[in-house]
Amino acid sequence: MEEVGMMQNNMEILEKIKQIVADILDLEEEKIGMDTYLIRDLGAESIDLLELAVSLNAAFQTEIRDDDIFLRKLRFYLEEAKTTGRDHHAFLAKQYPFLEDSRIREILNDLNGGAVLRISDLVCYIAHHQQ
Amino acid sequence: MKLQFTGRHALVLGGSSDLGLELARLLIQEDLIPLLTFRSKAGETRIHERLAQYEGRYQTAYLDFSRMESIQSLFDKVNRNLDFLVDFIHGNLEGLVGSVDTRDAVAYFAENVSARAEVIKRAGRAMLGGKKGRMIFISSIAAEKPNPGQGFYAASKLASEALYRNMGLELGERGISAVILRPGYIDAGRGKRYLDSREPLPSGPKDRMKVLTVKEMAETILFFLSDQAGGFTTTTITMGGSWKKLE
Repeated sequence: MEEVGMMQNNMEILEKIKQIVADILDLEEEKIGMDTYLIRDLGAESIDLLELAVSLNAAFQTEIRDDDIFLRKLRFYLEEAKTTGRDHHAFLAKQYPFLEDSRIREILNDLNGGAVLRISDLVCYIAHHQQ
Repeated sequence: MKLQFTGRHALVLGGSSDLGLELARLLIQEDLIPLLTFRSKAGETRIHERLAQYEGRYQTAYLDFSRMESIQSLFDKVNRNLDFLVDFIHGNLEGLVGSVDTRDAVAYFAENVSARAEVIKRAGRAMLGGKKGRMIFISSIAAEKPNPGQGFYAASKLASEALYRNMGLELGERGISAVILRPGYIDAGRGKRYLDSREPLPSGPKDRMKVLTVKEMAETILFFLSDQAGGFTTTTITMGGSWKKLE
């Protein structure tokens, strides 16, 4: 039951995020889903992300840390893990507690494709901070 | 010319200064709502005394750049109601670059540059919500032509100018603009103290010297906040006609 409730909450968050992203990027909401890459697919730029952070803060009344929600330091963390000899997966899990293990695995396998940030990452961040 | 304004909420940093108070009076007369910051009880009292006739038409808030928590509480009060920002705040650190204590310099830049960056960041985010906003930073001609002993003051002014300029550059397409004013001598605050401390000038140059009055400066700022000045964006304007005369 708890899982169903969480899924429902995530879907509600997703719907709000879709509206916000569509508004900022002037896109059809239908083009946006959980798996959509924010930068790679939708072409979001840094100014769009700043506006998105402000809108998410207003919509969810949650403090948004831009560096965390947009995985901005991801590659820096990976470099740090490498230079200090730590496990990449464990290190990222510590930095991004809102991401599930499966998502971190996905990210690590997807680094060569470009910016890895997905709409689902935003949903997870909001859901995590609402708890 | 009747000035027009897009928005009503103006945050005035350094609101208890002569300039801040004169600007507040003008803003209120234009039916805008200034939120004036003060750093001490005396400053707060001064605001209420000087604006007594406008009770209920302005707000006040505590702000001290050396206390980051005061920035948080200021923006809790601002919430997202912010259309204009005018920044008069600037601490002073006089001394030769080669002699100022490093700890003083570090603290000075922390307050006058780093804390200001935090304020500008939060103001920009508040304005982004409404997709409009105007920021005016009151710099100084000393940023361009400092006297000996003004190295740290000039450096922090220049750094602050750069922060405002980039806000305008980065958020311009979202309706947020910034203008930097570099006044020369103003007959108030630091400028007045400096002028009062000087030996009287020979009659010729003194007669020709232009010292801005508080009223002139406040009216200039009001103009730059107005829609009519919307064409001035991401720019620095020097108002230092008197500079050469004082060298």
